[in-house]
Amino acid sequence: MLNFAPTQEQEEIRQLAQSLAMEQVRPQGRSAEQQGDISPALMKTLTQTGLTTPFPEEYGGSGVVEAVTYTLIAEELGFGDGALAMNIIGSLMGPLTVLLAGDKSQQQHYITPFSDASRGHLQRGSLGFAERTGGYYVTEISATIRTEGEQYILNGSKRDVIHGGQSSPRVVLVRLEGTSGTGGLCALMVPLDIAGARVSLDEGKLGLIAAPSAAYTFENAPVSATCMLGQPGGSGVLRAAALYNILRAGVACGTARAALDYAMDYARGRIAFGRPIVSYQGIAFMVAEMAMKLDAARLLTWRAATSWDRGTGCETLVQEGEAAQYQAIKIAKSATIDAIQILGGAGFIQDHPAEMWMRNAAAME
Amino acid sequence: MIDFTLSELQQAARDYAHQVALEEMRPISLECDRTEKIPDSFMWNMQRRFWAGAAGQARTQAQEGEEKQDNILSILSQEEMAWGDAALSTAIPGPGLAAPPILSQGTPEQQAKFLGPYMDGQLHWGALALTEPGIGSDVAGMSTTAVLEGDEWVLNGHKHYITNGARSDLVVTFATIDKSLGREGIRPFVVPRGTPGFVVGRIEEKMGLRASQTAELIFENCRIPKDHLLSGRESSKKAGFKAAMGTLDATRPMVGALAVGIARAAHEKTCQWVQEELPKGFSVYKRREIELELDEMGQELEMARFLVWRAAWMADRRIPNSKEASMCKAYAGGLVMKVTSAGVRISAPGENSESRQFLQKWFRDAKVFDIFEGTAQIQRLVIARRLFPEVDIP
Ligand SMILES: Cc1cc2nc3c(=O)[nH]c(=O)nc-3n(C[C@H](O)[C@H](O)[C@H](O)COP(=O)(O)OP(=O)(O)OC[C@H]3O[C@@H](n4cnc5c(N)ncnc54)[C@H](O)[C@@H]3O)c2cc1C
Repeated sequence: MLNFAPTQEQEEIRQLAQSLAMEQVRPQGRSAEQQGDISPALMKTLTQTGLTTPFPEEYGGSGVVEAVTYTLIAEELGFGDGALAMNIIGSLMGPLTVLLAGDKSQQQHYITPFSDASRGHLQRGSLGFAERTGGYYVTEISATIRTEGEQYILNGSKRDVIHGGQSSPRVVLVRLEGTSGTGGLCALMVPLDIAGARVSLDEGKLGLIAAPSAAYTFENAPVSATCMLGQPGGSGVLRAAALYNILRAGVACGTARAALDYAMDYARGRIAFGRPIVSYQGIAFMVAEMAMKLDAARLLTWRAATSWDRGTGCETLVQEGEAAQYQAIKIAKSATIDAIQILGGAGFIQDHPAEMWMRNAAAME
Repeated sequence: MIDFTLSELQQAARDYAHQVALEEMRPISLECDRTEKIPDSFMWNMQRRFWAGAAGQARTQAQEGEEKQDNILSILSQEEMAWGDAALSTAIPGPGLAAPPILSQGTPEQQAKFLGPYMDGQLHWGALALTEPGIGSDVAGMSTTAVLEGDEWVLNGHKHYITNGARSDLVVTFATIDKSLGREGIRPFVVPRGTPGFVVGRIEEKMGLRASQTAELIFENCRIPKDHLLSGRESSKKAGFKAAMGTLDATRPMVGALAVGIARAAHEKTCQWVQEELPKGFSVYKRREIELELDEMGQELEMARFLVWRAAWMADRRIPNSKEASMCKAYAGGLVMKVTSAGVRISAPGENSESRQFLQKWFRDAKVFDIFEGTAQIQRLVIARRLFPEVDIP
């Protein structure tokens, strides 16, 4: 039955995430960009709230991830700062993929460290999805593995893997040679000190600078069969891929909302020709457009998240996640660009975060 | 809990309307568009299907259930109807746009008196008259007047572009009782057909929605009983204007749903055209490009539908929704133009097939969705004013 209201509990979690986003995340956006990473202190605060450990309690987590709830959290984090949000979610997708695709002992081994009270906040995971040859679409994954004795031979590339240089688990999405579409997708944990693997840390990035990332190239790289999470071609991998897209969409909605909110404040206070600039339709209509398109993209994202929680078939789910991230990033880009326009010259100056948000949105694709 | 799935009742209402659209509307759609006429048989079929049929039952059931959902049920069927034919949807017998102001501003006695006759199994229509030759968007500036003389209101003025204006049993007509009061002076009056001094002027010829009747109405010393003024619920001075605007909060999602219905029809037809009618030798690259464009429009279609659903859901829950109602109307109105014009462009290389005739008709129908029930610009104004309640955005 149609319903557009989060539950009471989700609303409380959202509010908690929002206050953390405003009080802790937003103020550190610029400095994190200068540092090129999240500060351990901030990560510690977030970890203590349980927001960054959506794992089963048996692995020390705060309760197993639900897509709708976590989409709300992702939007709030993105509202705080898109790059820090991607830093957090990029890391989280490592253990979450292990949770969704891996077996019990892999889960125990790779997830538990994230919940550790004293060191969990220093732990980083990663999920390599997009490649040199495509974007965040399962059908565009062309890195392949083939079996050779007790090993897999890995070929292909990954780009923009957040925390990809220093993570454990370091998961990459690949496909069994000869498969296409959503068939044969696997999640493989890759050590980087193997023959045929090349890692390069991303430098001089346009945006998402506070989310350090790396790119990989694999040429006939041998990977032990024990690195496979669960069964090759299982539905858990597709659910992980869909979840990543849904959460990226959540962050993008948050980024768009941040831009909208910031531009609204500015447009209210800025006087030109004796009137607040928002009293001119050229500005008012731009704001109305931003708000309308953001709501549209958020609803699309929520729909994908509800499908994830309901266990909708993977084919549909993957598509819904892809549509959500595409539309949400689209509005994140246009809203941040328009926010700068509304700020005028000030938008171009780094005293205001709008330009950083525009770079972040553009770097999500 | 956030949920995008339909309940059984909601699904049933939607399926029923789809069946009606498929069986009753599509087959006569092109012909009605050409002739600007709708056969009586269609009217009677609609009358039967909607008052005796499952939709009628669904409505009663919904009223008995604990959660109110008449807005949701109505937009679900509106989308299907417009998928069938938007012009024919506007002609379905019933009180139509006259109902919302009567329901929101009429006393229980007025509701029974004015809406009761619609249940008698005969063909009846209703209309809402705001627009005048001199004003459209700026409703508050209307110049039709109403003066109380003894026990009667005397109406004078001129309305135009009124949907079903010539066939309606009742026209809820907005008029000012005192021009110096501006919007505060505006009141809704129920004017029955046949009242002396109430005459129908020209019937417009239009680019689209051609089978929908759009009429000019003239009031010349038109006398109606005192109790035909709808102001029962609220004694506030704003009642009249609020009634007009409150009506729009309920009807904009419906217009949005109609736009989504046409957009969906055009999207489906274009996809089908690419599958079945693409001329031999068509460039594969171009085809791929078209498919990507259609994919993206498919996503936008879903977003438009969700915006409509949300606005209607809010209306059912009595959550103030003017911003959201305007958002869904603006988004859907823009989208239906985008999708239908793409359909015409994409199918341009083809033969003059029936699919292309439908696409061209829907393209002509679509444009009005950026215009009536508040133009694209007015929707953006409403949204902006809601976002900035403290700023005067003229
Ligand atoms: C097929 C059809 C059916 C209709 N059915 C009905 C009906 O049943 N009942 C009824 O009452 N009316 C009906 N209408 C009338 C419709 O609601 C009006 O046409 C509409 O509200 C616009 O008014 P207008 O045509 O006077 O345009 P105007 O108000 O003159 O607008 C002209 C242009 O100016 C723009 N504009 C106006 N004000 C502003 C502003 N403040 N800021 C920026 N731009 C502005 C508009 O967006 C538009 O682009 C119908 C119209 C059509 C075409």
